[in-house]
Amino acid sequence: MLNDVTFGQYYPTKSFVHRLDPRVKFLFLIAYIVMLFVAKSFYGLALCLLILLITVIASRVPLGSVLRSIKGVIAILVFTSVLNIFFHKGSQLLWEWKFIHIYTEGLIFTAFLTLRLFFIVMASALLTLTTTPVNLTDGIESLLFPLALIRVPVHVLALTMSIALRFIPTLMDETNRIISAQKARGANFDSGNIFKRVKAIIPVLVPLIISAFRRAEELGDAMDVRCYGCGSKRTKYKKLKFGWRDLIATLFAAILIAGVILFNIYGYDICPQIYFYMVIS
Amino acid sequence: MAKKDKEKLNNEISTESENKPLPDFAVELDNVSFTYEEGLPYALKDVSLKVKRGEFIAVLGHNGSGKSTLARLVCGLLTADKGNVTVWGYDPADKKQLGKVREHAGVVFQNPDNQMVASIVEDDIAFGPENLGVPRAEIGFRIEWALKAVGMEKYRHATPARLSGGQKQRIAVAGVLAIKPDVLILDESTAMLDPKGRREVTEVAARLNKEAGMTVILITHFMDEALLADRAIVMNKGEIALEGSPEEIFEKGDELESYNLSLPEIGAICNKIRAAGYELNDCLQPETLAEEIKEQAQKSGFKPRSSGDIPAPIGKNGQKEWDIDISNLDFTYSAKSPFATKALKGVNLHISEGEFFGIIGHTGSGKSTLVQHLNALIRLPKSQKHYKKPKVKKGQTPPPESIITIGGYDLSNRKCDFQSLRADVGMVFQYPEYQLFADTVFDDVAFGLKNFKKGLSAEEVERAVRESLTAVGLDYDEVHDKSPFDLSGGQKRRVAIAGVIVTKPKILVLDEPAAGLDPLGKRDIMALLHSLHANWCKTVIIVSHDMDEIAENCTRACVVSEGKIFDCDAPARLFERAEELFSLGLDIPTTAKIQRAMSALGLELKSDLTSDGFAAAVIDALKGGGDA
Repeated sequence: MLNDVTFGQYYPTKSFVHRLDPRVKFLFLIAYIVMLFVAKSFYGLALCLLILLITVIASRVPLGSVLRSIKGVIAILVFTSVLNIFFHKGSQLLWEWKFIHIYTEGLIFTAFLTLRLFFIVMASALLTLTTTPVNLTDGIESLLFPLALIRVPVHVLALTMSIALRFIPTLMDETNRIISAQKARGANFDSGNIFKRVKAIIPVLVPLIISAFRRAEELGDAMDVRCYGCGSKRTKYKKLKFGWRDLIATLFAAILIAGVILFNIYGYDICPQIYFYMVIS
Repeated sequence: MAKKDKEKLNNEISTESENKPLPDFAVELDNVSFTYEEGLPYALKDVSLKVKRGEFIAVLGHNGSGKSTLARLVCGLLTADKGNVTVWGYDPADKKQLGKVREHAGVVFQNPDNQMVASIVEDDIAFGPENLGVPRAEIGFRIEWALKAVGMEKYRHATPARLSGGQKQRIAVAGVLAIKPDVLILDESTAMLDPKGRREVTEVAARLNKEAGMTVILITHFMDEALLADRAIVMNKGEIALEGSPEEIFEKGDELESYNLSLPEIGAICNKIRAAGYELNDCLQPETLAEEIKEQAQKSGFKPRSSGDIPAPIGKNGQKEWDIDISNLDFTYSAKSPFATKALKGVNLHISEGEFFGIIGHTGSGKSTLVQHLNALIRLPKSQKHYKKPKVKKGQTPPPESIITIGGYDLSNRKCDFQSLRADVGMVFQYPEYQLFADTVFDDVAFGLKNFKKGLSAEEVERAVRESLTAVGLDYDEVHDKSPFDLSGGQKRRVAIAGVIVTKPKILVLDEPAAGLDPLGKRDIMALLHSLHANWCKTVIIVSHDMDEIAENCTRACVVSEGKIFDCDAPARLFERAEELFSLGLDIPTTAKIQRAMSALGLELKSDLTSDGFAAAVIDALKGGGDA
């Protein structure tokens, strides 16, 4: 049922961010990630946090939904943090035990790294929360356009992506139906050891694959008779529009990037010690 | 910008119409033969057919009669072995002309889901014109026009996944129309739809034929759809067996049976009354049949038996062992998310042991959700591990608890043995053949049995599999070591049903058991269910869209609408509430329609609404009137 509407984590509401051109959002995200890595002072990072908060507020997505996106990567975050704390070498030794040494620089570095990753994950989540998958592929297609000049079949890639998106909900429904049907025949997917579980999947996988092939074949026929590859040069009905909102967002991003760079330069004066550590790391 | 596009568009239209004189025949087949593999019998044998420009032709035939092969030859998905095919003056066998053929002849296939390229309706419709390099502004106009032609203007920005089968198929039609074809081919496009969806699609085709002069080739196994056509041909074993106006074809009831076709319900009823010696001429519509009956009544009189003899449904004869009791059943999908949808709202239902029970409702009415509760595929909240009592504010009464009991099972109890419940309540899903997976029929059928009853000996398993395959009308020795994927469609469905009944369930639930089958296949499956009801399980529950099927087979039925039970009763009483059912967007059986039409003419009649029962009641009334 849920799959009917959309999948992924799109949060349906109307907001400034939802209405932005997906290309702008995409570029904004890339710029934001660059900013995060350019920022070498806590002031810079604080500004990045501010930007994130402003965007979250402008998107009208509850902060909880954005934070929830971290759940999936929390293990990786903890793992890298621990490794970094224990093994990052520096000059100011804080604590040591056998082969483990903890330096002040290590702590600072880890804090930086973790915050950066946090922000990246949340910002990416915000992109998928505010953009429908369809818009996202349109955006990616449009951004990949220069590749067409070097004969990369961008249009075919884009069509493949859009068909994949189109069929994810259909195949998810189908999977659910097959799982239910096999459960009704006593299949057990929730218990047993790993081998038993893998074996239990076969009665789902086989029909699913057969069905996917059948669908692919039928879809191919349907596309053929709808003149796909009839030879004419293809046109594209939907063009993304760069509107006033996008202009504002772009200007906003430009100012912020400038801000972060300034913080970086003057961050040297404001917080020399941290900057120093950053340089040697 | 837009102006320029419009000019371009005008230019394009004018050049296109100057191109070529219009052909007299939209589609011509000249002695065409085709076989899928050398050595196999011909799928199409020496077929010659001329379809005039602007004609509406219906191609009828059972599954495997060659009618779909015909469509694929016309649109160039297949190439004839012998003979010539011409479409709008172009030859689909010639690669250079194939593009032109496809511009002029659009095809809509069977499964609407597998024809859609994009996740948004307008993007999908744009696909064809995009391929042809149509300018953007014009594509916009074409989308608007195509959606209007199929009556789906409101859904331009919708997601197809949310639409009903009939709506999806109309979108598929719009996607083909946007290419602006001259010939529209519907290749079994109605086979997977419910009667309402079928009507929606065929009406669109008929309107396009009448108003836009489009040539329509409607390929179907439903005889009633042929009524809309100017001309019908019947295919059998790759050849054209009959040709003529739909009325002429309908006259030949017996011959049709020999081609594995069956008359539509109304034709069958008509023939039964005729067999009793009454002359009926036009019986293609309920209204005209009612008129004909009235004419007879004026000659012989009309005196129906007293109306009180509809047998009371089994429902209230006291509790039996395998009764199903559902009370206050609520269910919400994706609760606590922005997508939360209430699927069931306080459903109360009692199904007695021994009933042949029908559940009627639209896609999305909640009927599938209801049915999936019966074998705990959807668990009641109270039976789940992390169940917490809902918090109730002071002064408010807590919501009543959802309770289901089936036989000795209490489904709201966490300690209920759900595995053995599932062995006792068998569930056959829609298109169950799509769930076959094993290497052999034997393994597939034995799958459920081995899951439920561990430690059975090889002989016991073999005996059970043999019994259940025999029960579904298959020959064990012939099929058991075949791959299920090598069987025919009807056989696959039987194997899938055997795989459910192998545990000897007391209650058998089937979701649309006859979906997608041709009329004879439907009849066979329903006959199978009656034999299972008599010899194998106690209660049979079917979910169906087809009111004729419900009226013909069920002892009692309930209508589910928007998550609630509208009514539960014997079909004869249930379908008396015709107006209300219409307002819910549901239909009534053919027999009920004739009864209504008759009552509008002053002939009041009651029957159990099966076609036999109805015909008998009419004959009875006509005879009784004569005696008095």
